Amino acid sequence: MNNMWGSTAQFDAIYWPWPIAIYLFLAGLSAGSIMVALLVKWNKHEDNANSIWDAMVKAGAIIGPVTICLGLLLLIIDLGKPLSFYWLLITYNITSVMSIGVIFLLAYTPFAFLFAMMIFEKEIEQYKIFAVLRPLTKFIRSFAKISKNIEYILFVLAICVAMYTGFLLGAIEKIPLWNTPILPILFLVSGFSSGIAANILIGMLFFKGSLNKDSIKYLLVLDLRAILFEIPLLIILFLGLYLGGAKEFANLALSDTFYGTVFWIGVVFVGLFLPVLIAATALKNHAYKPLYIVINSLVVLVGVIILRYYVVYGGQALI
Amino acid sequence: MKKFVMIHNENLCIGCQACSVACRNENKVPDDVYRLQVHIKMSGTFPHLKSDYTRHSCVMCEDSPCVSVCPTGASFKTENGITLIDDRLCVSCKYCILACPYDARFVDPITKAIGKCTFCYENRLLEGKEPACVSVCPTDALVFGDALDQNSEVSKLIAKKSIEYPKAYLNTKPRLGFIKNTKGGRYE
Repeated sequence: MNNMWGSTAQFDAIYWPWPIAIYLFLAGLSAGSIMVALLVKWNKHEDNANSIWDAMVKAGAIIGPVTICLGLLLLIIDLGKPLSFYWLLITYNITSVMSIGVIFLLAYTPFAFLFAMMIFEKEIEQYKIFAVLRPLTKFIRSFAKISKNIEYILFVLAICVAMYTGFLLGAIEKIPLWNTPILPILFLVSGFSSGIAANILIGMLFFKGSLNKDSIKYLLVLDLRAILFEIPLLIILFLGLYLGGAKEFANLALSDTFYGTVFWIGVVFVGLFLPVLIAATALKNHAYKPLYIVINSLVVLVGVIILRYYVVYGGQALI
Repeated sequence: MKKFVMIHNENLCIGCQACSVACRNENKVPDDVYRLQVHIKMSGTFPHLKSDYTRHSCVMCEDSPCVSVCPTGASFKTENGITLIDDRLCVSCKYCILACPYDARFVDPITKAIGKCTFCYENRLLEGKEPACVSVCPTDALVFGDALDQNSEVSKLIAKKSIEYPKAYLNTKPRLGFIKNTKGGRYE
């Protein structure tokens, strides 16, 4: 076809590339690991009365602030004008989900750090490199009475951060895979699931001393539930596309040689089927078998990354 | 207050691309990106061929998705309903490009801000001139003016002809309308 009007490259470009997909993963992971840490902290186990020192709580308190910072860094790097990012903090538009997200992140990130300082108060006292933080921990300690309230606020903020990413994509009417009300809840559940996996991994790697088998069992049960909940969510997502007038897009998204394969192999097989299979066989009754628990956590994490990648790229590439 | 409207009469368009060239020249549009393109689509079987010329540019929605998603307010509307971008406030997050149902926006490779058709607002409209594309069109296929003024050429055209607004079902209320091709250019 004669294209005397010039290049059409600008109409087919992927405008939100891999840093956005990884950010969506990291934001979900950060929020998920914080929620999981809080749930473990609140659900004290019988043979471990002082569960504030649980490895899962510590892992979450580390992963939460670190991953959200990495994610925000990726967001800024991905801007066409990274050095102008401060405008996002100065000017707000309440009709923009991105602006609302900035508000959530601005509240969530310091609270995530605050939580880390509450959990690692002892270590900060102990090690010299943290000496700078000591006055701050003392200051925080003086508010010990309201620490429970801070945890509740952090939990709610984590839910907001995990869900807003779904609304962020959902606001784009042009892209059928994004413009669905299921996305926020799917991102929340898969983010929660990735938080469990990451907490278990980091907890087993670095906080062996305070590992509590009961909390791991509790988390494996939660993870299995989250994964089983993702299955109907994905079905509803595609059902919505089929019934909501995006039938052709849905067919393409499930049968495309590249993105279709990514979905069936990456999202469904690795992310959903394998963890369920492991839970039903090697980890039957959520037995404590470290090797299989590690494998289970790794496939869950890979599955969630692929899900974000599939949604971000598939959504843009297939329209 | 004015309601600036542009009508592209596809029956008169001959696909000469003068509008596109004038736009590039007037607005110093960088290489490889376009504020305006006129796509030529051919249909039928030889020798009964028909060419349709369709303009691809910002349609100046009254309810602009690009303005509502912009986190910094860099995408904004003038009081005359023209959607513009403040380069200084734009952080180039590209949210507006994704939100635009008309694929009218792009990343300017030089400023890195978002670029689009402005109806030549700063460089011509403010001086009382028509947009560059309108002024060079050799067949007067493009008509531009204030739709609130009963005597303007564009108001008369709207009253007389059936105007089609792209993706009307989205309710974005475009101000770029089309008179659809019924006859079409012949392939010679």
